[in-house]
Amino acid sequence: MSIHIALVKTEGQKISVESAKKFIYSSDHGAESIFVGRVRNENSGKKVTAVTYDAHDQAVIKSFQLICNDAKNKFNNNAKIFLEHAKGYASVGEISILIAVGSGHRDEAFKICRYILEEVKHQSPIWKKEHYEDGKEEWLPGHSLRPKKEVK
Amino acid sequence: MEIQIKLYGSSKMLSENETLHVELPENSNIGQLRNSLKKLINEKYPKNNLNNLSNSAAFFSEKNEIINDNYKLKNKELISIIPPIGGG
Repeated sequence: MSIHIALVKTEGQKISVESAKKFIYSSDHGAESIFVGRVRNENSGKKVTAVTYDAHDQAVIKSFQLICNDAKNKFNNNAKIFLEHAKGYASVGEISILIAVGSGHRDEAFKICRYILEEVKHQSPIWKKEHYEDGKEEWLPGHSLRPKKEVK
Repeated sequence: MEIQIKLYGSSKMLSENETLHVELPENSNIGQLRNSLKKLINEKYPKNNLNNLSNSAAFFSEKNEIINDNYKLKNKELISIIPPIGGG
């Protein structure tokens, strides 16, 4: 198995860098690239305390599988890929997304990691609601999946 | 006819429940559903920053595939509303 994908419910579960490292390890690989996205304490001048991630579970898993398959086909079929995203309430500092790639050489490891991150942002139905220090909260704007020819 | 819409992201502001029930004329399509949603948002949620939701959202069928504006809805059909996404 060369691809691991999951949505991790933040209540009771944590995304683990160590698990990712174990998964992608192979003596065939000379490169590992790991991207860790975390909840930041500020956005557009507002003090953020936490983010709630909502997701369409089935569609997210389907998109993760497609994105990882595409990445392997595009850059290196022998790469090992670990992709997990949080779902639920995550405080500042907690991991929101983890992408780990093991492959023969550094170039494809970096490229696969970057490719997956950008495609997740544009294809996977995940939403963020930020919680602020003043008690307010806000769903963040994003990328529309409506077919472009229909958008008025 | 009645349509059930599973709510995600910002559309959750439209109801405290996981799904929203919408009454539509027989043989309505997604385009007509958008118009109904626009009216509902303007009337009930004018201050919730949802003005553009009816235009910017996509809709998924029960098979999790994007359905276009000409898609004919069936009575009691469950679809998902997909507001603009932004994970990572």
